[in-house]
Amino acid sequence: MAAATSGKVYFHVTPPVKAIPCLTPFGMKLETYLRITGIPYEPIYGRSMGPKGKIPWIEYNGEAMGDSGLILEFLNREKGVDLNKSLSDADKAVSRAFTKMVEENTYWGLTQYRWIDNFDKLQELFEIPWIAMLFMRRIRSNTKQKLMAHGIGRHSKDDLEGIIEKDLKAISTFLGAKPYLMGDEPTEVDAAVFGQLSEIVWTAPDSYLHRIVTVDCPNLLAYCNRIKDRYWPDWDQLTGNTNTNQ
Amino acid sequence: MSEFLGNTQGALAALYEILQTSVLQLFADPTQLSPNQSVVVAAPAMFVGAVLWTFWSGQRRTKVKLRAEFTPGKVYYHAPPPLKVIPCHTPFGMKLETYLRMADIPYETMYSWRMGPKGKIPWIEYNGEAMGDSGLIIEFLNREKGVDLNQSLSEADKAVSRAFTKMGEENTYWGGVRNRWIDNLDQMQELMEVSWIGMLLLRSLRVKRRRNLWAHGMGRHSKDEIEGIVEKDVKAISTFLGTKPYLMGDEPTEADAAVFGQLSEVCCAFPGSYMERLVTVEYPNLQAYFNRMKDRYWPDWGELTKTSVPLSVIEVLSSQYL
Repeated sequence: MAAATSGKVYFHVTPPVKAIPCLTPFGMKLETYLRITGIPYEPIYGRSMGPKGKIPWIEYNGEAMGDSGLILEFLNREKGVDLNKSLSDADKAVSRAFTKMVEENTYWGLTQYRWIDNFDKLQELFEIPWIAMLFMRRIRSNTKQKLMAHGIGRHSKDDLEGIIEKDLKAISTFLGAKPYLMGDEPTEVDAAVFGQLSEIVWTAPDSYLHRIVTVDCPNLLAYCNRIKDRYWPDWDQLTGNTNTNQ
Repeated sequence: MSEFLGNTQGALAALYEILQTSVLQLFADPTQLSPNQSVVVAAPAMFVGAVLWTFWSGQRRTKVKLRAEFTPGKVYYHAPPPLKVIPCHTPFGMKLETYLRMADIPYETMYSWRMGPKGKIPWIEYNGEAMGDSGLIIEFLNREKGVDLNQSLSEADKAVSRAFTKMGEENTYWGGVRNRWIDNLDQMQELMEVSWIGMLLLRSLRVKRRRNLWAHGMGRHSKDEIEGIVEKDVKAISTFLGTKPYLMGDEPTEADAAVFGQLSEVCCAFPGSYMERLVTVEYPNLQAYFNRMKDRYWPDWGELTKTSVPLSVIEVLSSQYL
């Protein structure tokens, strides 16, 4: 990275598409966190993988860092930020549990839907030429292996959907009538949960996931819109200027 | 060298020639196919068929051998046999069996290394059907036997309960996999009471575990990073437990079976590890909680571990590959 400014966060992620500013839930999570904390950052749109072979990733003071969770912890220390400071220790624990559930379990339901069950729509969603689909097929078979290795890919369609439904209902029940997951103000877990739910709401319109989040548990849709309106006022600008519109 | 290449080239050309003729013959008049031609056509066709079947057959269900006779309504619980240090070396086995004991559901234990219908252990047989995945089994048995360990919980508490279960099983668990299979594999020799042959088998299984860790994501982190992640999980469970006797309050609920399942491995089967240090030294309420659950639901722990059976290489191999 030539002439990097010291102390600046360079946020590497895939470019926005019509449907959503970032196609990976962890990108939505990390960028939402940066916006909630007010940490200035420069987005660098591209498709290069980070140091752990995943996106998003950041460059900071000449070093590359991967994993949204580890990046968050690092930036908390570096920038003296703590979105969770008003939480009791028990609430911080609950907050971590929900983060891990949504990222290590529910996430795979979205992955199964996007890459396996609804693969036909991927080209349109990702706004890529047909020739890139050859590469996507490779990623798809890779993803199948990941689902099996994780374990959740061993389930039948019904079993898997049942599991994911229970996760989403748990989040909805715990949220209840509160504006944010842990209370009146957003905390770290909201970045994580919004990251996953935003993909469901805006990139998976015909799925059982979407039905659960909008029809069965409408407080989740309201929650997503609340965070989008507050922290993504430029959503339409970002998604309006994509390849298909140029 | 050029002669070899020439020969190879000639052989390949001849093979292509045969293939071409056979395929043409197949479409023209299959009844006239010679045995050689049939083989040349059938072999690639079968190969292509096998490849397609592997990719398109959807969920691959492992073939399991069921009992010829069963008592209706009885739970036949399949799990690997006890070790010297713990009744079951898989946390999901400890979880499921603890649940059966908490819910007072009678069961018959069938010790074996054979995998269940989803290719994992533990699993159960019930009314002639095999079922896999401890979570799905628990939900099924709740419905079937009219059991609800969570009935005293509020809806919000049930949600929190699920979140902790998932964190322990989908995150912390993988720290345990890394600890057992990658960092401390040698310990398994004593744990599983195996000879050097058994260790060869374990080393070969380790390859798969490494791949699984990578695919899950946890395997992409450094050792230190994984330890940091696991520590934060353990701290969260300890903080949430606090001074309560059980995770959600005064009486045990479903989440206790899950958390106890993971903790029991840490307390008993990871000697000298950072994980053991976390639950015994840094967050000792977890050690106390483990003992509480063990004393209440596993009064026969000592008896069971005395009947430990060394890992059966033949059984494991045959269950993986036959």
